[in-house]
Amino acid sequence: MFRQLLRNAKERLRRFLSECGRRARVLRDSLRRQPDRIDPSSRFVSGFRYGYWEREARGLELLKEWLSPEQFAQYDAKSYFEVTGCHSGKRYRISRGTSMNIHELDGAGRPRVGWCFAPKGHLVAGDVMLAQKIALETDERGALAVANRFGVAGGRNTLLDY
Amino acid sequence: MATQIVMDRAGDTRHNFDVKNADALLKAEERFRELTGAGFTAAVRTASGETVVKRTFDPNAEETLFFPRLVGG
Repeated sequence: MFRQLLRNAKERLRRFLSECGRRARVLRDSLRRQPDRIDPSSRFVSGFRYGYWEREARGLELLKEWLSPEQFAQYDAKSYFEVTGCHSGKRYRISRGTSMNIHELDGAGRPRVGWCFAPKGHLVAGDVMLAQKIALETDERGALAVANRFGVAGGRNTLLDY
Repeated sequence: MATQIVMDRAGDTRHNFDVKNADALLKAEERFRELTGAGFTAAVRTASGETVVKRTFDPNAEETLFFPRLVGG
């Protein structure tokens, strides 16, 4: 009886996943036919000169222009780069993203605590990461003064001070 | 030719100006004052690649980057 139930559950799961895949393909095809609909921002902000992906790409280009060669290589390989805080000399890892993407590293290079701050407004990821880099490298105390801190446990972020 | 790069929702907006043109230079200085007055941070890169924050307009800066005030996320 248990085996029968398991078989039924498996069959239901297979059908469910198959249906999800079919719907995803239909959605993807319809979005491809209407490229404007891919741009999520166009639903919220009118008058943009660039589409979502183009804005993201521009932001990343700007970031790469301003990274040091070492940071650039690191970002290219790992999707994050490290900076040194100008006041404490501590190392920070800035990962690709717009929030909760900064980790203070311990002596062994492991994340020990997270910091969350970003430039005001809806900026693309590249711009946010560049502002975070400049802030930590030129005004670490000022940046951390406005930042929220979050704990890092077992590789997952845990909110501490929200 | 110098450039002021202002981060915005479009990624960034670039304002190019000729440093030898007095009017253009004045306009660039006004833009600098307006942006920093509105809370933007202005940063330039030195020849060695180091990033430096500027509190006053630097007419010799080839590229000045402006980003909005930082807030806790």
